[in-house]
Amino acid sequence: MSISRRVFVKSGGVALFSLGMDPLFLARAALGSYKPLPPVAACCRPVLVCLFQRGAVDGLNMIVPHGDPLYYRERPRIAVPQSDVVDLDGYFGLHPRLAALKPLWDSKRLAAIHAIGSPDATRSHFDAQDYMESGTPGVKATPDGWLNRYCQHDREHQDTPFRAVAFGPELPRILAGTAPSLAIADLQAFGLRAPQAAARDRLTRAFEELYAGSATGLLSASSQEAFEAVQTLKRVDPTQYQPANGADYPRGKLGKAMLEIAQLIKADVGLQVAFADVTGWDTHVNQGATEGQLAARLAELGQTLTAFAQDLGEKLDDVVVLTMSEFGRTVRENGNSGTDHGHATAMLLLGGPVNGGRVLGAWPGLDPASRFEGRDVAVTTDFRDLFAEVLARHLGARDLSAIFPGFTPDPARFPGAIRG
Amino acid sequence: MKTRVVRFLTIVVAWPPAVGAQHAAPSTPRDSALHALNRLAYGPRPGEIERVAAGGVLRWIDAQLAPDKIDDETVAKRAREFDVLKYDRGDLARLYAEVQRARQQRKRMGDTAADKPDDSPIAMRGRRFAAQVQQLAVVRAALSERQLYEVMVDFWTNHFNVYFAKGADRFLTPDYIEHTIRPHAMGRFEDLLIATAKSPAMLFYLDNWQSIAPGAFPRSPLSALRREDQEVRRAPKGINENYARELLELHTLGVDGGYSQHDVIDVARIFTGWSIRRPQQGADFEFHDWAHDTGDKQVLGIEFERGHGMDEAIRLLKLLADHPATMHHVSRKLCQRFVNDDPPDGCVDDAVAAWQRSHGDIRDVLRAIFHGPDFWAAANIRAKVKTPLEFVVSAARAVDAEPDTTPRLAQVVARLGEPLYLHVAPDGYPEREDAWVNSGAVLDRMNAAVALAAGRLPGAVATLDSVAPVTANPVQLIAGIDGGILGGTMSENTKRVIAEQVSDITDPVQARALAVGLAIGGPEFQRQ
Repeated sequence: MSISRRVFVKSGGVALFSLGMDPLFLARAALGSYKPLPPVAACCRPVLVCLFQRGAVDGLNMIVPHGDPLYYRERPRIAVPQSDVVDLDGYFGLHPRLAALKPLWDSKRLAAIHAIGSPDATRSHFDAQDYMESGTPGVKATPDGWLNRYCQHDREHQDTPFRAVAFGPELPRILAGTAPSLAIADLQAFGLRAPQAAARDRLTRAFEELYAGSATGLLSASSQEAFEAVQTLKRVDPTQYQPANGADYPRGKLGKAMLEIAQLIKADVGLQVAFADVTGWDTHVNQGATEGQLAARLAELGQTLTAFAQDLGEKLDDVVVLTMSEFGRTVRENGNSGTDHGHATAMLLLGGPVNGGRVLGAWPGLDPASRFEGRDVAVTTDFRDLFAEVLARHLGARDLSAIFPGFTPDPARFPGAIRG
Repeated sequence: MKTRVVRFLTIVVAWPPAVGAQHAAPSTPRDSALHALNRLAYGPRPGEIERVAAGGVLRWIDAQLAPDKIDDETVAKRAREFDVLKYDRGDLARLYAEVQRARQQRKRMGDTAADKPDDSPIAMRGRRFAAQVQQLAVVRAALSERQLYEVMVDFWTNHFNVYFAKGADRFLTPDYIEHTIRPHAMGRFEDLLIATAKSPAMLFYLDNWQSIAPGAFPRSPLSALRREDQEVRRAPKGINENYARELLELHTLGVDGGYSQHDVIDVARIFTGWSIRRPQQGADFEFHDWAHDTGDKQVLGIEFERGHGMDEAIRLLKLLADHPATMHHVSRKLCQRFVNDDPPDGCVDDAVAAWQRSHGDIRDVLRAIFHGPDFWAAANIRAKVKTPLEFVVSAARAVDAEPDTTPRLAQVVARLGEPLYLHVAPDGYPEREDAWVNSGAVLDRMNAAVALAAGRLPGAVATLDSVAPVTANPVQLIAGIDGGILGGTMSENTKRVIAEQVSDITDPVQARALAVGLAIGGPEFQRQ
């Protein structure tokens, strides 16, 4: 990192000079650790977008096993009627509010995987999210997240502050760690604010010098990443962005995050790993069937993914969107027309490299004898097998055992989510 | 270690000397006053470091541990400006129901804009009240003389988190803060635990209000259970484990506290029937004996024999409040808050011992932490990064700003990543810096600092005269800001950068505002 930064400081000075900046500006810039724009990234870099459904999505009502009468017997009030399900393969089907995704399924760019989850039995949201983000089920002490560890072990893309970006006010656990990563709540408002551009640049440099000189620990790393990003965004100019191909993102945080991800992908700033999360899946009460709370969340998810695919157009060939959720929910509905914390759930994969048009994973069935602890869908795919496959076969990660310590990824167990 | 600190403390307050002779940090009464003000309070106001140092840091700490004896009329007067406090739970429930009804009606009328913000006068009033509740927390934190008490209110608000935007919690949360958290914030843990268990806000947030024994039926018509807010259209039909699980995992024992899924289920059974009255009737706590599971239960190996009612949950709560795993779990969080994100074992041990001695008197636990060696250890001075709330409030205090009832500062707290009462998950905002220190948030802090110092945050006007005089002499200006805002901890680099930045600004008032903004947005002020 430090070597490339020093090189940039040098070449950056030249670039500024050629832009005809005044000497005072240059003097100030030279005093600070001014960093120029990264080189324009090559096209066609693979991008992974992780989308966390926080609160434990009910996989059974997202990818509905409508071919199983047990599903209807266990959920008299909240099962999605067979007549409403968007059939996929005669047994599974999409929740009707995900119908917008069906064309992507038909063109083999959307896959689902069922009965996936953690080998750890916890039904605590916090533990299970923690494990799914740290990538070390059952081990709390892991300091970093698996997406960050990927960035630590694959050092090809370190020349851009936008390599790993979380869209939201907080940097999530999954990206916590020593590899630089950004948290962006609002792409347009990112950076120092001042009435005029000159004042803004001056403030930016002043704070950059303050933090370069005196910040320690996480404050130092975070501020350094921040100022690198500010420089790059100046070039991208997010205020001018228009989604392509008539893509219509739903209002709300999820739509906004995915729009900004699409924007950065198209701007070629070197984005490789993006993360967004969406809440509202903890449907203990009145989750609904074809309509209702869960349906509304799924509609937002489906519309967002559809808009994202449209907006990216051909760029989708380089992108994989992976949804995840900490666990699934009870097979049987509870006393409040909802579902309680369960075990395995379903995840979605969208993008050109995806081995689409199929429901992956071994399906254990809903028979009480094959359930986990007699009540939940059993886990037949360790989430690490899917994550490892996506990292290896989409991003080209090599050192999988370093990314998932204590786990030996085995290509023979990969669920087959990425086309070979 | 302990003797060393006892020795240090005696120096600080000029008490009779005790044994021990080693050097200890912080080195001067001013340094220790700053440390105490950073941790037990939301940072120093102008001149406060000197006042606390002169009066004796330990004496100030002891005074903070007895908040009832501190006169706080100024903030009480300010709180009365927030008219949301004039409305009780029933009033707010009715207002909320009215907003909901109007919204439903708009939906029925086919108003396609029903999902857009509702700008009707009554909806605006509801939103104004919600914003007031958040701003009130900032005002109290900024202006109260009972600083430690306000810090503890924030701590327990997160420990016993509810989510302001979940259905009925929109009108239950203000009451929860006023009448559940605040009265017990520095009392006995057991009382606080029981108060939260009975609070309508928690009963609603974690769904216990509708957890009933399987097959139980109300004696009164089912319609009595139907809620105004339409969250639930059907009568509940069984137990709900949500509260039971979080009670064990988050409120008391901790996730490694040694309980099983079986314990969770039986705790849920013990709490069946703990519910809420209808909003029109004031939404008070109500125990429904018809909904209670009266069978045998077993929790943590302890028998709860059949035939009991509401009393068995109280018995369980007392047992949990006094459980060693609870003492350890909560003490650890307190040490995290007051000492270090990675709490030293010694601090936790001291706190647990005090908890045992005092049967969970929070003041005694806190006293043990503040008198322990870890609190004063050099490694823990400025070892924590301020949370968004701590940053915003300490900045307001540093420049002697008097925030008004407009939600300006609460909005800044939200922008920095931790909107008040809006952490959706029951674990509350985390106590570790990696949750709030990230590149975007760091930039937002700089922006907030500059805006505050430049007077661009209406509703929180900085009084920079109390920080540093208007002067054309940059050395004098920087020295004033260093002493007034950073307690003399400004680095040479920061001094150099500020000097350079103000060097070409001819208007000394503007130069001062920029210098203060840089100091508050700079790296030293982020730490505590």
